[in-house]
Amino acid sequence: MGTIESLWLGFSVALQPDVLWYAFLGCLVGTVVGVLPGIGPLSGMSILLPATFGLDTTKSLVMLAGIYYGSQYGGSTTSILMRIPGEASSVMTCIDGYAMAQKGRAGAALCIAAVGSWVAGTFGVIMLTLIAPPLATFALRFGPPEYTALLVLGLIFLAYMSSTSLPRTLLMACFGLLLGTIGIDNMTGHFRYSFDIAELGDGIGIVPVAVGLFGLGEILSTPAANVVGKVITPKLRELLPSRREWRESAMPIARGSVLGFLIGLTPGSAHIISSFLSYAVERRLSKHPEEFGKGAVAGVAGPESANNAASTGAFVPMLALGLPTGPITAVLMAALMIHGVPPGPTLVNEHPNVFWGFIASMYVGNLMLLALNLPLVGIFVNVLRLPYAYLYPLVIMFCVIGVYEVNHSIVDVWIMLIMGVIGYGLRKFGLDPAPLVLGLVISPTFEMSLRQSLIMSNGNWTIFFQRPIAVALLAVCAGLLVLAALSAIRSRKDWRAKLAEVEAGES
Amino acid sequence: MTLRSDHVVGGAFVVFGLVLIASSGDLPVGTLSFPGAGMMPKLIALLLVVFGLLLIIRGRESAPLASISWADLPHALRVVAIAAIAIALYQTLGFFITMALLLFALIFGAERQNPVYALGFSIGVVALTYFLFEVALKTPLEHGTIGF
Repeated sequence: MGTIESLWLGFSVALQPDVLWYAFLGCLVGTVVGVLPGIGPLSGMSILLPATFGLDTTKSLVMLAGIYYGSQYGGSTTSILMRIPGEASSVMTCIDGYAMAQKGRAGAALCIAAVGSWVAGTFGVIMLTLIAPPLATFALRFGPPEYTALLVLGLIFLAYMSSTSLPRTLLMACFGLLLGTIGIDNMTGHFRYSFDIAELGDGIGIVPVAVGLFGLGEILSTPAANVVGKVITPKLRELLPSRREWRESAMPIARGSVLGFLIGLTPGSAHIISSFLSYAVERRLSKHPEEFGKGAVAGVAGPESANNAASTGAFVPMLALGLPTGPITAVLMAALMIHGVPPGPTLVNEHPNVFWGFIASMYVGNLMLLALNLPLVGIFVNVLRLPYAYLYPLVIMFCVIGVYEVNHSIVDVWIMLIMGVIGYGLRKFGLDPAPLVLGLVISPTFEMSLRQSLIMSNGNWTIFFQRPIAVALLAVCAGLLVLAALSAIRSRKDWRAKLAEVEAGES
Repeated sequence: MTLRSDHVVGGAFVVFGLVLIASSGDLPVGTLSFPGAGMMPKLIALLLVVFGLLLIIRGRESAPLASISWADLPHALRVVAIAAIAIALYQTLGFFITMALLLFALIFGAERQNPVYALGFSIGVVALTYFLFEVALKTPLEHGTIGF
């Protein structure tokens, strides 16, 4: 079946009224989640994950994905109107978006952010449509050694792209890998670090760890007294940007879409990294770099497009290879597995309805978000009027419900609380929790593929250097490590360090 | 020598890694041709020690420990204590009572907001959530031993 026929099949699924309803629900919840500071897409998806148990696979996936890319749209609203990033990926939008709002161009900034997000999201879905199926076919050639090499590459790439140092990122990833070894060993049946707690036999779930580290951890380090925000309410007639603003935003949107999608393919917090990089690129390319920070249109258009394209790009490795590039795609994979649908190369051929229905729903979802975010911005802004002292207890309540409802396990909720405390500590010491979650997610696959590789080679570790795909992947790992070492030896600040400086200064 | 944040983090992970290796004696490492259940955890524990040492060695690049602000610690401790009590009571008192108490304790107890507003908000929001999950989304919430 060709791409056009497959996409036709997808639209026949995605345009069914009930699938449309769940796409709308996901987009709506995602926008609210993005608007509210303190709740991320991960918390939103985790909270609604149990609600998807009664749905079929396509509807579950469509709704959860809607929350993810919807939150990228919604995140810009708080950034522009309050200078509070609703989402980590909207940090860069705060700078010029809020500056535009102070000049009376809040409506134009919101419109450019929404249109940029739509263009980038749609571009991302087109690329996903074209790339994912052939990549999945190629991935069918992967055996355990190739998967081991791919996962090592994922970790090294994450460490290389990280704005903190390589050892710090790898330390966090190892901590995550270690947490992933808790529970019964699948190959021998040994209990590992379960301390006679029956619930730990199945291992530590992604949801309690991710919600604890990102949701609760953020709340613990944000006292209500520190959150004071003045909401600028744009008028509907001010939403249309001027001709000059459209002109200034066109190329940043195009560049942000391409850059975001490419970064989205890599592991880590791609939607965050892409917005930082896009901002840096736009400032570098601008004829008036001095306008950045004072309301430059490109400073809104570029990062907002990039984070949306990245959130779509992240679906490529998830759907084609069965590899999560971060905690959010890991939750989506969990949703697939709960429904007995294994994500990965076989998904396209064995479950075409799910695969193509999901992709088609994203075309529709992006249109829904455009319609939701522009005319209804006034309604979403009203949500921001809830004081933080009332808001964060609400988030804690949803964190508890979301985690508990996945397995009806109180142990999971305790794990979430412990992870919240750990997340607070990590923030204090400037450690990024994202590699920890990624380590936890890939740990079982990594261990299994490593051990299978050794067993199939009868203990000969050179198996990783005897297979062309594995060798190519490991060569890229070595190249990245050499680049990182060279940059450390020269002790010259490279773009990642500069990015970290911007992040520290502006957030 | 100034104690820096990476010295503390690195030291903590070195100790953690060593404790882990020492306490994993019962997990068999196996052989290269048939790795056992202990191979991966011990390998990772070793990597934790290595990266911890690297952090200590490169510690001077990080911020001094004294520069880390702990002004938000009292707030964090209050939130953790209240959340811990709520989690401990959740399966006994059920969703409705526990969550209403959690919200009230956080809004009034931790944030010193108007008690009447706090009470109204807590009960209202919990009732709305209960309706949303139980009726609209058909997702049963924890009923506890009391029954709701």
